[in-house]
Amino acid sequence: MSSIIGYYTTQFGELWDKSLFDLAREAISGVLQDCELEKNQIDAVFYGNMMAGVLENNLHGGAKIAQLLGTHVPIFRVESACASGGMAFHLAHNYILAGKAETVLVLGAEKMTDYPPEVVVQALAAAASGEEQEAGLTFAGLYALIANYYFSKYNVTEEDLAHVSVKNHFHGSLNEKAQFKNIITVQQVLKSSYVASPLKVLDSSPISDGACAVVITSNKQLLANAKNKVEILASEVATDALSLKDRAYFDRLEATSIAAKKAFEISKVKIEDINVAEVHDCFSIAEVLALEDIGFCKKGTGAKFVAGGKVTLGESSSFVVNTSGGLKAAGHPVGATGVKQIGEIFLQLTGRAQKRQVKNAHTGLAHNVGGSGGTVVVTILSNKN
Amino acid sequence: MIGIVSYGFYIPKYRVTVDEIGSMWGKNPSEISASLNVIEKTVPAQDEDTLSMAYEASSMALGENIVPKKDIGVVYVGSETHPYAVNPTSTILAEFLGITGEYLASDTQFACKAATGAIISAQGLIASGFTKNALVVGSDRATGKPHDALEYTAASASVSLLLGQTNVAVEIVDALSFSSDTPDFWRREGIRYPSHGGRFTGKPSYFHHVYSASKKLLDKNKLHPQDFAHCIFHMPNGKFPQVVSGMLGFTKEQTSQSLVVSLLGNSYTASALMGLVHVLDIAKPNDLIFMASFGSGAGSDAFVLKVTPEIVNVRKSLSTAMENKEYINYATYIKQMGLI
Amino acid sequence: MISPVKVWRRQKYIREHLGRVGTIVSWTNISVAGSYTKEFAPYPVVLVSFKKGDNMYGQLVDFKKSDLVIGKKVISILRKVRKPTDDSVIAYGIKFKPTS
Repeated sequence: MSSIIGYYTTQFGELWDKSLFDLAREAISGVLQDCELEKNQIDAVFYGNMMAGVLENNLHGGAKIAQLLGTHVPIFRVESACASGGMAFHLAHNYILAGKAETVLVLGAEKMTDYPPEVVVQALAAAASGEEQEAGLTFAGLYALIANYYFSKYNVTEEDLAHVSVKNHFHGSLNEKAQFKNIITVQQVLKSSYVASPLKVLDSSPISDGACAVVITSNKQLLANAKNKVEILASEVATDALSLKDRAYFDRLEATSIAAKKAFEISKVKIEDINVAEVHDCFSIAEVLALEDIGFCKKGTGAKFVAGGKVTLGESSSFVVNTSGGLKAAGHPVGATGVKQIGEIFLQLTGRAQKRQVKNAHTGLAHNVGGSGGTVVVTILSNKN
Repeated sequence: MIGIVSYGFYIPKYRVTVDEIGSMWGKNPSEISASLNVIEKTVPAQDEDTLSMAYEASSMALGENIVPKKDIGVVYVGSETHPYAVNPTSTILAEFLGITGEYLASDTQFACKAATGAIISAQGLIASGFTKNALVVGSDRATGKPHDALEYTAASASVSLLLGQTNVAVEIVDALSFSSDTPDFWRREGIRYPSHGGRFTGKPSYFHHVYSASKKLLDKNKLHPQDFAHCIFHMPNGKFPQVVSGMLGFTKEQTSQSLVVSLLGNSYTASALMGLVHVLDIAKPNDLIFMASFGSGAGSDAFVLKVTPEIVNVRKSLSTAMENKEYINYATYIKQMGLI
Repeated sequence: MISPVKVWRRQKYIREHLGRVGTIVSWTNISVAGSYTKEFAPYPVVLVSFKKGDNMYGQLVDFKKSDLVIGKKVISILRKVRKPTDDSVIAYGIKFKPTS
């Protein structure tokens, strides 16, 4: 059995003064403080980051972190596009279950604002297939293809979709670490300019810097003494074709359904037990698909589900989605997001989510997607112990 | 008998009018179009170039494998705007067409007569038995310098001819090439826009070479203008071909079908060939056709062509294609030309 | 630099897929583009499905606004796909245009 005993996140946003490893250093020291550990108590580190190689010609990040920590322990850099953080967590969890270590630090970090937008947009496209890049498809473009197909099939409109960002900005306004803390309206979403039709600026997660870290342990002593502790009931991964066009469906991410099904089976948790979920809303349509593909609502009804307040803090008491503000409002430093999602669930389940606390939250789910759905990681956590 | 077995063409969809360009530079509307006898010209999209247009024209010419690809042992591409200074357009074109391995590929340049000169070379390679068929393409994406006279006419298009000895639709009865060192129009290595000698491009250049090549060819074959159904001369504008045709004794009626320049502009190496394509829209079996190209620098290739009954099997329709067009304004024109 | 070897390998594939007629399954108009295609923005990209059961992406060119609709028939053509840097070869690839 292994549990999360600590979490720290930096501010997400345009952090001009901080380099990638400044952020990593802050997250590492922050999480060690949160669970009151010394760095020599860490047996291994899993480090999720997508773009340092493409943007900064910096690979071998594991050795850099060894340098920051002044350590010789094993350090593993993990990359699965925007699921790098969730994947780092998944591998760390399994490393402990395999008995290779007892206490592992999971770090997700990304530095995206050192370059102009078109350079970053091009670098992000590295998570898409060669044919997608050759056709000039950006990430927004890929999700826009999904959105247009979905709109046509299920008679859904841009206005229906706008409620997703409105909800996430409302949640983000309650999160001091969020990049955007402003409340927005449906009209503002509809008036924002197109990035890739039908997706607009206010349907799209931003370019952000940030880092976060969690500590997982199976050490009996540490578990007994831990001030905050949440059990990892499941961490499951599924994949799909890199190229959207080569998948069986354009209106769903099959990898989400497969990973979620496995996670529910292994954890023996029922879907109605989930109180809080952090799902991957890189674009508003992605949250709609996530809610449907995980099974929270029927295919084709996700937008109305959100618009009806069914997953909004305050309007729903039983199940709230993306209390952190999601990727849209909290920000999306891609390698860090997967860890942030798990960290947010950890805060909820340990009663430390402050103004955005969901009362009596006991079981939570995190859903992290790589690219347009080529990799999905689903994690289920619980404090029922 | 050696000649054209099949042919194809490509014109970009966009047009900018001479009046639109003229109004940019403060000219009276129709002042330029009247003096040049050109109303509008073709403009390529930003992502089109000499090669992509050559491919479209050649795909039309080759159709559903009109001859086996392995019989096309020679590929010539003539252009003033090859995509590379060093790297042949002809091999890129051949590979996209599925012509691979044993073939001779050659790029030619001689201003606007780069392709017609290659027709004469290809004819020799067929006659000698080097190859059964030859593909000869003229393709240009010409840019006129803004505010220069040539801005009104420099256009883009491509014509592709498949030459051979079997099922010939247009026989090359005879050809003659007349050349000299006459620097009327040139572009130096590394320089973006061509330069020209103004009125020097007229009498000592265009007219001297076209007239000389044409007259010598007619005399050599003991033919007279009245023997021909149609004539085509290189079209730098709408006036020059009409003047030289009159000088040689051809009539307005014989020349009129070829004058596509008024609606398409001057597509350089494809210019005279596009006039030929328009003539072939309506030419009848046994028609004699006279064609003379002009390339600055300078030279002219003159041809006596004879249409055979095979034309009905391979005739295309440039007239229909010319109807599919979209007008753009000056700003869009220079954006598409890559000048901004 | 665009790798000349990658362009060379790709061209064999492109040759086989020119002149194919398919149907638009979805489309988007890209306004915010990456650095490789920024000069062409805004431009539409279509996801096209063929009778053989395979799908392809490509920019839609020479089109009217009314052509950007699910179900429209398009044909694959050869165009330049990226702005080459000074030291690059030119990459040609597949784009689509409406058949009518």
